[in-house]
Amino acid sequence: MRDLVKRLCEARGISGDESAVRAVIERELAGVCPLRTDPLGNLIAEKAGRPANKTLVFFAHMDEVGALVTRIGDDGLLRFSPIGIDAAVLGGRRVRVGRENLPGVIGAKALHHLKKDEEETAPKAEALFIDIGAADRAEAGQHVAPGDAVTFDDPYLGELGDGFVCSRALDNRLGCAQLIELLRSDCPFAFTGVFTCGEESSLFGATAAANATAPEIAVVLETTTAGDVDGAPADKVVCALGKGPVVSFADRGTLFDRELFALAFDTAKQNNIPVQTKEGVFGSNEGRVVGRAGSGAQVCAVSVPCRYLHSASVVAKWSDIEDSARLIRALAQRFAAL
Amino acid sequence: MKTLLETFCALPCVSGDEPAFRAQMRELLAPLGEVSFLPSGTVLCRLPVKKPGLPVVLLEAHLDRIGLMVARISEKGFVHASAVGGVDPRTLAAARVTIHTKAGAVAGVVCATPPHLAEKEGALPKPADVAIDVGLTAEAARERIGYGDRITLDGPFTPLLGDRVAAPAVDDCVGCAVVVRAAELLRACKTAQIVVALCAQEEVGGAGAVTAANAVSPDFCFAVDATFAETPDSDPAAVMKLGGGPAIGFAPVLDRGLCNRLVETAKEQNIPWQAEIMTRSTGTDADHIAPAGRGVRTALVSVPERYMHTAGEVVSLADAEQTALLLAKTIGGGLR
Repeated sequence: MRDLVKRLCEARGISGDESAVRAVIERELAGVCPLRTDPLGNLIAEKAGRPANKTLVFFAHMDEVGALVTRIGDDGLLRFSPIGIDAAVLGGRRVRVGRENLPGVIGAKALHHLKKDEEETAPKAEALFIDIGAADRAEAGQHVAPGDAVTFDDPYLGELGDGFVCSRALDNRLGCAQLIELLRSDCPFAFTGVFTCGEESSLFGATAAANATAPEIAVVLETTTAGDVDGAPADKVVCALGKGPVVSFADRGTLFDRELFALAFDTAKQNNIPVQTKEGVFGSNEGRVVGRAGSGAQVCAVSVPCRYLHSASVVAKWSDIEDSARLIRALAQRFAAL
Repeated sequence: MKTLLETFCALPCVSGDEPAFRAQMRELLAPLGEVSFLPSGTVLCRLPVKKPGLPVVLLEAHLDRIGLMVARISEKGFVHASAVGGVDPRTLAAARVTIHTKAGAVAGVVCATPPHLAEKEGALPKPADVAIDVGLTAEAARERIGYGDRITLDGPFTPLLGDRVAAPAVDDCVGCAVVVRAAELLRACKTAQIVVALCAQEEVGGAGAVTAANAVSPDFCFAVDATFAETPDSDPAAVMKLGGGPAIGFAPVLDRGLCNRLVETAKEQNIPWQAEIMTRSTGTDADHIAPAGRGVRTALVSVPERYMHTAGEVVSLADAEQTALLLAKTIGGGLR
């Protein structure tokens, strides 16, 4: 699992530009099960086995948060527009830009020239720019064009403290890793696994993939925000690292199926797997679209709790990742028998 | 210049931690002259004296960089740190950091407030109390991490397009690289006795510079620091041009005669230069050196850089090289 997560995180792919991630997943699943890529770039895997009672489809999005270059200034600095990133984590970050993976720095005027109120509030993304070292527009234009992808550049750190991992793109390469492991597992039932595009933008990949695969039970494999940091009041912690996979009853996009929710907790208990839920209605994921295809599906979401979710330094705990894999494997069999 | 700059940038020398780098400083400076250390952590290197009676010229830059230091470890195991010098709060959320403990480096991530927890949108971490996630229980963290342990902002030394590089602490590693380079160029200088001072604690008040000036009693000092380069959102009157050459400082505390010598030399030698006008203090060690002892005739030459006090400060290597050349030619031409 650990090597797999590392390989997935080292591929770069923002919404609409997932091909490098897809290529890694195709290599991981070569010879494991039939794969096809749909017109939008979703990768669809068919696991062979005994037919499940209901059409069972798992979804994990391949894309990560990032940005698009919008304009090259006369001064050679790049303006950009973020996709899925909170502006508070942009300042000063190292990034990679465009097809050449050119290194750059997200900059703004010097600290010393800030007004008092500017020291307390993060600048909006429109006020920031990316410096690739170009002296002018012509030099920058030789390497970068508007529309080019921008990703964070902080390195993968497989061991943070005792048992944690820190990387960009854990959202949602952890979900991809879970789905790859499930497709490789000895699960006796047939199901479909979809590695989707575009979750961090408009959920376009999951929407089309749900239409194509017509799930009756749809399971979203994801990451979710944990608020277990210093200063968080108990009612805002939501979920915590080290307490196992997170099974949601609701978020801001989806009311998850209550039968599947109860079954997930029951399955965890039977198998001695720690499990938690989101104590509060926050965030959203592909659940909001995968239940709406055709005549609809029961929807369940299983997430790995993560700190600093949409940043260059997402932190997760290996025990949660491993417990999620165990729960997902057990759940696949329970859901297939429904 | 690139190698020299990279060497200095690789030393995680946050203010107050300078004595920990004595071995590296000795190794780096011994080929130039006699190396000694002041209690403040300032490093001095006296080039061999060619003949008696030469004016003593101090080539100064500061060795320290901004950072953080460990103040407290919470019950949940988060390390709470306080800024050392002016840390840029806009770059802290979810930043990677390294805690330098007596047992070695510990990796960490500055806690970023999840959007649903933020008191107001875009609230930034406060440099006086920065929470760092080290993935340890309180017990394990307290065992490995000590009060006052210094913390650096992570960022590689990265060549960008052209001759520009991004690195943490270019302020003032570029100054250190420039003065070492200038001293190399002045190895055979017969017009001045050169003393290199890499000073401690500039970012927290200049104690290293004052003590260097007191210890050396120079006739002249050239302080070298990083200064602000233009960005689209900056006040054009307050910034220099990146790639525009050394910024020669003009300020009440700086010696006008020395400044003029620098300008004359730049013109004679066809070295690009720009004027940096500061009506109050210079915000550099020059402010502390000029009034030290019975007073030191001091000039300030700065290398323009963008994104000061972040983990990705950007500088032009040509600007740095030209600054070293300007200093060497000015001093080599004789000072009066």
